[in-house]
Amino acid sequence: MAFSGADLVRAAALLGAGISMGFGAIGPGVGEGFAAGKACEAIGRNPKEAGLLTRTMLVGQAVSESTGIYSLVVALLLIFVV
Amino acid sequence: MEDLTYVPHWVLNVGNYKITLNSVTLLTTWGIMAVLVVFSLMLAKRIRTVPGGWQTISEVLIDGFYGMVIDALGPEIGPKYFPMICIMFIFLVLCNWIGILPYMSEPTKDINTPLGLGIMGFFIAHGTAIKVKGIKQYVKEYFQPIFFMMPLNVVGEIAKVISISFRLFGNIMGGSIIILVVSHLVYQLILPPFLYGFFGLFVGTVQAFVFTMLTMVYISVQIR
Repeated sequence: MAFSGADLVRAAALLGAGISMGFGAIGPGVGEGFAAGKACEAIGRNPKEAGLLTRTMLVGQAVSESTGIYSLVVALLLIFVV
Repeated sequence: MEDLTYVPHWVLNVGNYKITLNSVTLLTTWGIMAVLVVFSLMLAKRIRTVPGGWQTISEVLIDGFYGMVIDALGPEIGPKYFPMICIMFIFLVLCNWIGILPYMSEPTKDINTPLGLGIMGFFIAHGTAIKVKGIKQYVKEYFQPIFFMMPLNVVGEIAKVISISFRLFGNIMGGSIIILVVSHLVYQLILPPFLYGFFGLFVGTVQAFVFTMLTMVYISVQIR
């Protein structure tokens, strides 16, 4: 049972993709949950502004999601390109 | 799994150079542009005082966007940039939605489309800054806190282009890959329509909105 260099590189790339996605998902998860919680508090205080608050929350979440998306791009590069 | 990231392309040989054109992206983009132009012409031909269905929808959309653009860019240069920003949003929404049709793929799934739009926004923002503030003030802002912060400021400006375009590309690409994988897992039963609804319609709309808003914010940051 002999491993060649290419196998090792492939294994390392797949492992790296998994690690990248796993750690990269922590930040956006915490951040988006925090944003949603704050939006819920704000809607509880001021239910009339629910539409505006929801829209702002969605845009903010989509922006804070971007670090997770970067890790997704890195993972895809590792899987399909390396 | 290899065909997930495959982009169909034509290769043209011009002299010694090879020119690669991403055929499906090009055709879809031009198709969407043609649809938008024809639709706008037909709509503009019959504008009435008592609006019909399509006119009401476009008026609501344009009204909402106009308010936001004026808020962000100010009443002087806001109206000048409003058509570009509004059509960018409509174009991106159509680009992201077209993936829900069978045999169609989103042009935004190809990195070249978001990167091109991001670079366009970059040049528009900096061109506006030079026009509004003058070249001297513009260059001076790069040396703002202390003079050796200049490389950091330059890198920060370039990173904006990368971040804005990779955000759109990653969202659409990741969504379509998740749709493919999950549809394959459940043998195309029950789940795929909901996935298309979420990743195609909802995420597509939100990401198009975010892209447009960020382009606008970058312009407005540059002119202050």
